[in-house]
Amino acid sequence: MKLPLVLTKRGWKVLDLNWLYARYPVREFMQRHMTGYYAPRNFNFWYFFGSLSLLALLNQIITGIWLTMEYTPTGTEAFASIQHIMRDVRYGWLLRFMHTTGASLFFVVVYLHMYRGLIYGSYRAPRELLWLIGMAIYLTLLLEAFTGYVLPWGQMSFWGASVITSFASAIPWVGKYLVIWLRGDFNVSGVTLHRFFALHVALVPLILLGFVFLHLVALHYVGSNNPTGIDTKHDKPTAETIPFHPYYTVKDLIGVVVFLLVFSTIIFFAPKMGGFFLENNNFIPANPMQTPEHIAPVWYMTPFYAILRAVPNKFLGLITMASAIGLMFILPWLDRSKVRSIRYKGYLSKIAITIFVICFTGLGYLGIQSVSPLRTTLAEIFSVGYFAFFLLMPFYTRYEKTTEPPEFFT
Amino acid sequence: MKHFWFCLLMFFSISAFALTEEITLSHANVNIHDTASIKRGAKYFATICIACHTLIYMRYDPIAIEAGITYEKMPINITKWPNNVKPPDLSLETEVHSPDWVYTYLHSFYVDKSTATGFNNLIFPDTAMPDMLASFQGTQTLAGDIIQSEGSYGHTLEWYDVVELQQQGSKTPDEFDQMTLDIVNFLNYAAEPFAVKQEQLGWWVLGYLLILLVLVVLMKRAYWKGERA
Repeated sequence: MKLPLVLTKRGWKVLDLNWLYARYPVREFMQRHMTGYYAPRNFNFWYFFGSLSLLALLNQIITGIWLTMEYTPTGTEAFASIQHIMRDVRYGWLLRFMHTTGASLFFVVVYLHMYRGLIYGSYRAPRELLWLIGMAIYLTLLLEAFTGYVLPWGQMSFWGASVITSFASAIPWVGKYLVIWLRGDFNVSGVTLHRFFALHVALVPLILLGFVFLHLVALHYVGSNNPTGIDTKHDKPTAETIPFHPYYTVKDLIGVVVFLLVFSTIIFFAPKMGGFFLENNNFIPANPMQTPEHIAPVWYMTPFYAILRAVPNKFLGLITMASAIGLMFILPWLDRSKVRSIRYKGYLSKIAITIFVICFTGLGYLGIQSVSPLRTTLAEIFSVGYFAFFLLMPFYTRYEKTTEPPEFFT
Repeated sequence: MKHFWFCLLMFFSISAFALTEEITLSHANVNIHDTASIKRGAKYFATICIACHTLIYMRYDPIAIEAGITYEKMPINITKWPNNVKPPDLSLETEVHSPDWVYTYLHSFYVDKSTATGFNNLIFPDTAMPDMLASFQGTQTLAGDIIQSEGSYGHTLEWYDVVELQQQGSKTPDEFDQMTLDIVNFLNYAAEPFAVKQEQLGWWVLGYLLILLVLVVLMKRAYWKGERA
């Protein structure tokens, strides 16, 4: 391939891409990961959310870099610098809304992506490591979201940071020292803000990108699962597969545009999403002397927050919350079913996953609300349901009657 | 299980009880395009509110400056306030609460001799703010009972159902509604000065994306033509 691109002393010269090809495996990479990487033909809409997660990540990084140019990470100036971005920086409001809306939609697509893995058994052998790396991405993303939420330095930023860092104090013996070590001060302060800024813009994104890279490498090594859950070949063409590029790149573009339509509708017409994406109290500057009546984390953390609050003892609550996330890690070893996909699993699995969805969204709702006796009871019921889904999985998946998946699909 | 049903019953009975007690926020018909109203609101702010409230993030805003809301006039350096309550900056007030809240708040002051200012407020009990708009609205007192005004049957409880106007101020109730709406429109503008631009750009972006959607769907079909999936 030749392109007239390079200007030399003798005028324009044809750039010989073979020069590049001899020195860098561009074509081999494209062949191996795009045009010669075969994906199952039967992907449905659930398979949009992987590429959409990448898009959301890209959006966060780009808008984040531009926000960093005008944001000041000090206790006295952080809040005002956000207002400076919103008012004095050209299209600063757009960059910020893209970042705040992007954060929430990142979790939306990641949760849907995880749910896809859950129903089609994408965590089963040989994709256990792929699932584990995905879970690592999810944990890193929670950390990234938490450190980022502190930066506007509003009331919810401050009190959210206070509540979440205080979790560490529940750990026996070392807890109180650990909290000071985390905050860098005896209370959440400008010091905490400044270090969270460093974590949010440098360390955590680097870890995140590293895990995303590992996730993609693992995916392309074992190949994608598909809605039937039966094995396909990804390194050579078969009747069941199709080259990722151009077939799935053009198909994913539809997902991208639909996502952008939803994304833009929120950014331009409802960036606060009625307090779910941007909380009202966070428009009040951080004030250590005044505790808000009601402190709730942003919606994507509330299921775990509800589990924490459902347990009366703080330390046990912390352990319960940690194991709620921990159980997701060992999911590949809890599922003993003969089949991967929910399509061929028995009634018990289908009932279990329905209960799980009800419990998880129920907990998410309760985590937003303030505490009342009824809500605590409900949170306890939902927590039991959540844990039962995982802990009983080895039994109901093993002993239920499954149907036979097809030999192949077209 | 008995406990559960009991809780459920309690939950609904409590919420039913709360409804009869709580004042529903009146709807402020906010319009980001009504520049005349925003400018009138800015004038009101520059003559009344600025005595105690800053509007710190509006100090470079042309509409605010034109109305006389300048950094020099804002009460930045005052350190001693009655009862040690510093009046909040109002740049983001409609974000912290809501336009409806501010609109209702400004309407629902009533005479209460037990407080320091001589006034109290229905939706912000024991507010430190005196009724700065009393000379316009007039003075209101608690009716002690729900007023069955015309058409009030069956609707939720609003501020005018529980207070009565004792003495009208310099504005009629309708004029006062417009005045408070002007102030709310201005504060709403102060919180989101980019709102008009945001809305305009939004329609363009959505329009562009809809066209793009048609194109990418056609492109996908072209590529997948003859392929089973």
